[in-house]
Amino acid sequence: MKISLTLNGAPRELDSAPLVRLLDALRGPLGLTGTKEGCGEGECGSCTVLLDGDPVNACLVPIGQCEGRAITTVEGLGEMAHLSPLQRCFIDEGGAQCGICTPGMLISAEALLRRVPDPDEPTIREALAGNLCRCTGYQRIVESVRRAAELLREGAAR
Amino acid sequence: MVHGSPVEIPRPSVGVSVPRVDGAAKVTGEALYVDDLPKRDGELHGATVRSPVARGVLRGVRLDPAFNWSDVTIVQAADIAVNTVALIVDDQPILAATHVNHVYEPVVLLACADKAKLARAVRAVTLDIEPLPPVFDMEQSLAKVEIIAGEDNVQKRYLITKGRADVKVEPGAVNGESATAIDAAIAACDVVVTGRYFAHHQEQMYIEPQGVVAWWDTDGAHATGSIQCPFYVHKAFTKAFLLDADRIHITQAVTGGGFGGKEEYPSIIALHAALLAQKSGAPVRMIYDRKEDIEATTKRHPCICEITSGCDRDGTLRALSIRMIMDGGAYVTLTPVVLSRGTLHAAGAYRWDDVRIESIAVATNTPPNGAFRGFGAPQTIWAIERHLDAVAKKLGRDPIDLKEQNVLREGDVTSTGQVLRSSVAGAECLEKAVLASDYRAKRARGPVVSGRTARGIGAAVFMHGAGFTGSGERYLKGKVAVDLLAGGRLGIRTASTDIGQGTETVFRQIAADAAGIAVDAVDFAVPSTTTCPDSGPTVASRTVMVVGSIVENAAKQLSARVRAEVEAHGGTFGEATDRLIAREGPITSLLQYAPPSFITWDDTTYKGDAYPCYGWACDVAEVEVDLDTFEVTVVDFWSATDVGKAINPVMCKGQIEGGSLQAIGWAVSEEITWRDGHITNPRMTNYIIPTSLDAPRFQTILVEAPFAMGPGGGAKGIGELPMDGGAPAIAAAVEHAVGVAMGSLPLTPERILAAKQASERTSA
Amino acid sequence: MSLADLHFFKMTREPSLDALCAVVAERHAQGLATILYAGGTDWMVEQEMRAPLHDEPPLVVDIGRMGELRGISLAGDSLRIGAGTTYLELERSAVVQARAPMLVRMAKDVGAVQIQARGTLGGNLATASPAADGVAALAAYDATIVVKSARGERRIAMADLQTGYKKSTRAADEIIVAVELAPPPEGSPWYWRKVGARRAQAISKVALAGVAVVENGTATRFGVGMVSVAPVTARMATTRALVLGKALAEITAEEIDHAVDQDVTPIDDVRSTGEYRSHVARALTRDLLRQLGARV
Repeated sequence: MKISLTLNGAPRELDSAPLVRLLDALRGPLGLTGTKEGCGEGECGSCTVLLDGDPVNACLVPIGQCEGRAITTVEGLGEMAHLSPLQRCFIDEGGAQCGICTPGMLISAEALLRRVPDPDEPTIREALAGNLCRCTGYQRIVESVRRAAELLREGAAR
Repeated sequence: MVHGSPVEIPRPSVGVSVPRVDGAAKVTGEALYVDDLPKRDGELHGATVRSPVARGVLRGVRLDPAFNWSDVTIVQAADIAVNTVALIVDDQPILAATHVNHVYEPVVLLACADKAKLARAVRAVTLDIEPLPPVFDMEQSLAKVEIIAGEDNVQKRYLITKGRADVKVEPGAVNGESATAIDAAIAACDVVVTGRYFAHHQEQMYIEPQGVVAWWDTDGAHATGSIQCPFYVHKAFTKAFLLDADRIHITQAVTGGGFGGKEEYPSIIALHAALLAQKSGAPVRMIYDRKEDIEATTKRHPCICEITSGCDRDGTLRALSIRMIMDGGAYVTLTPVVLSRGTLHAAGAYRWDDVRIESIAVATNTPPNGAFRGFGAPQTIWAIERHLDAVAKKLGRDPIDLKEQNVLREGDVTSTGQVLRSSVAGAECLEKAVLASDYRAKRARGPVVSGRTARGIGAAVFMHGAGFTGSGERYLKGKVAVDLLAGGRLGIRTASTDIGQGTETVFRQIAADAAGIAVDAVDFAVPSTTTCPDSGPTVASRTVMVVGSIVENAAKQLSARVRAEVEAHGGTFGEATDRLIAREGPITSLLQYAPPSFITWDDTTYKGDAYPCYGWACDVAEVEVDLDTFEVTVVDFWSATDVGKAINPVMCKGQIEGGSLQAIGWAVSEEITWRDGHITNPRMTNYIIPTSLDAPRFQTILVEAPFAMGPGGGAKGIGELPMDGGAPAIAAAVEHAVGVAMGSLPLTPERILAAKQASERTSA
Repeated sequence: MSLADLHFFKMTREPSLDALCAVVAERHAQGLATILYAGGTDWMVEQEMRAPLHDEPPLVVDIGRMGELRGISLAGDSLRIGAGTTYLELERSAVVQARAPMLVRMAKDVGAVQIQARGTLGGNLATASPAADGVAALAAYDATIVVKSARGERRIAMADLQTGYKKSTRAADEIIVAVELAPPPEGSPWYWRKVGARRAQAISKVALAGVAVVENGTATRFGVGMVSVAPVTARMATTRALVLGKALAEITAEEIDHAVDQDVTPIDDVRSTGEYRSHVARALTRDLLRQLGARV
């Protein structure tokens, strides 16, 4: 089955069996291994991507349902030389340790900040509740998101 | 967009929260974890056929004749040169050959290019096993209801004696002279308290499952993967494949968390992948799915501690008797070392005149338990902290007062006879955590009931030995190489891995400061057994303190040579380096760890300096208990933690907060449930680790009581300490809130309700 | 492991609900199953647990974007919610926020955002699990399920939907189209309390949904649904009768406990114990009635 979608802002086409998981399509034929698999059952959130702007677990989405839709993965947030404020803050504030949950965590945070530019702590925690982290205790992740929100608001104000 | 280049890092860098050097790769998805590594030519997927039976005789393996096996590689025990996983005791086969001793024990390995076919192939193998009666309970194992391992099911014993109990070394002699002596010492005390405490399994639940890619070529065997200790895997290959050391190449891929779970287990998955690769002649990728990872890999050892103690009426602790059992699981793996650390921490952070600690690890027909952050200490610290809470209750005093009165201070002597000469910060941590949390006022006020919730507060005081036990570092001889590189740069080569805790960044800071150069002038090589010397394993809170000090010395040595060159012939550090290299060729400082000379340890009597130094801490937990549902919410968590010297404060706090949340999960929600040796909850949906909404606000206070031999001005181990105090602090807070003293973990609502109902029945 | 088999499935889309009904009916007549795939939050997980395929895989029809299964509308006294509505859409719907706020609160407790963005009310009803939060919430609203097949459309009252553990009166060829409910007046009291093993990403050990209209200290409307305390979603007939029968202030804790004990038959499973569930069922019901004005 031919599937056309928008991936990180660019049109992409692939030929795939429709029930193949978006996660496997991304990591395989689409060549983006930034999206991680931690459980394969929608619990850990490591494979979180944006599907038309909302965070979803790519392990539970069949690629066939992505026809004509927009997907954003961690690779779409920024590059090594041009990090987004959110990415920068995850490094500076200690939001990433082993890093395996980080791509999904960043995507959930990105979804939040697009909708809520000035989230309070409970709102941040709720937005990240579908992303399990075993390293940080979450505190530094929450701080990273809060700091990024500040930077983004300062940037918008300028 | 903000530009990605790092901000200017001040010099010296120690004490500065340098952003993690592997950060940019991790936040962009560029970092390559094992399953992200490009597919090698002809690569196959590997899978494992595991025993569905807990104990039995393996009569045969039947391959469904209707299945087309032509493109499936099959490995069985007979294919292996030496069928033993090299560790402490040679009791664990790489694949079961004649017997199975736990459910999930690997029996047959399969590889196939087609993943869907591989899944079918696993189902097309039938294991013909004649069941034998299994033993799942450690006390039944100790009672020898069945002999399932060795002569008596015992994997290891230790005996620690001090003071009046120090009459004779007699491990295993329950009614020996030291037992009589400690009983007499306790009987002579004003106040005697007895208790029994249980700590349960815990799954490491790193978010990246175990995985390895293995292949063979003219250089020998290669394996790369999610590995904490590359040289463990190297040793396992040496034994199993009868290969020379230089024919084995083990390399770490970016590793998505370990917490001990990737200390010894990767040897097994790497051996399996390499066996399939050897037989098939193709590279083999083995990545566990979550279920297989939870079922097959090691867990924290369950532990029962029976404690009797005696103290004076004024609260001075006098005599302590502990009998503890750990469940090692079906094979020994690292159990003797885990039991050792558990035993050495069983007396807690307190002074006792007379001590007898008898510890035993026994086998059960469950998957082997192994390394997990804390390594036996969280289990025994849980017990002694709960016990002291009970002693305080009997004395009518607040537990923190009793703990403050008896906490080890400078000049005091531990249960192994170690005199604590310096870097002793238990009292300071206690004071700071108590102050920050307003503990005393909150305790005095009593539980705050508001609506249908009750709020309580509790504390735990503890210490954790940093580095290997006793003479461990002397045997280990950890090495690090630091290369002097063109332009005045340094390159660190070490087998110490960064599994998220920040080794790469912190080692650069240590080397940079030691050499007086910038942090970004230091490189860190990918840990590999081919290119890096054996620094010893990345375990035991030893990486920064022990290996970091070798890095520091090596960097100092190189820098001294360059500076001498500058002195003699002028120029910059970089220019002088280039001249040296031009003159002498490659320059490397390869150093071996020199343990502090003052350490004396006797492995036979278990006496002396158990650890070069200790990290100290006090955790305070404030909880809300729902009076309808008995759900426990940890609202606030204070931790005053002595790290010696915080090389990188943000990373230090990250270790403390992350370790504390693992302790919180262990305390309130994480539980492995079993039926007939099978795990009934091998999924992330029913093995419950905390989410961001379950995590408290952490208020972390870094205390710095420097260790003279520690790098960067006195850094001590920090990796494991934060796992130790959370559970007892929470249990004390729950007791404060609802009046139920829980001695068994976990503190699930179901158990609290049952305990409350039981205590109400008793009082009625 | 059998996730590898996903490669073998076929997936189609149908242009209209009628066309979908025809496909389902035709396959049903041949004894073939059809998987209607919306959010896939249950189905995909089940595949992981399932043995590898040996036969032709069933046909999957993507209904994720079928217009006739979507949309939320209020007509007179009836709130209609398309079966394909996701939990996230419920949360964001102004009309649901105003007229059925308990559904919004319930939706926020389903998994976490990623699951809420994919899971649908219709999916929850299709599995008809006693552990389904959405089903309990709809039971409390005494909602009606609209189902359609090639044989026509019919309505099933929530009370008649479930017949046993994951069994329902919906025929195999009937497609869940929408739910309809009569919302209580704006500002009416409601109750949602989920007790899970953690605060997100949890399946309920017990959860209680309640809606009520209280006039002069007496409930004139009272609906409840309880999760994971019986083979089906507990509608709690005895408790309902107790509450509707007398002034709230006169109801005693003992009466509540007694009624709840009649209404629930919880068991031990991997998530909790029967004893704990019984305790929590009583405690939550008391809590709900306390909030309505009972002095318990």
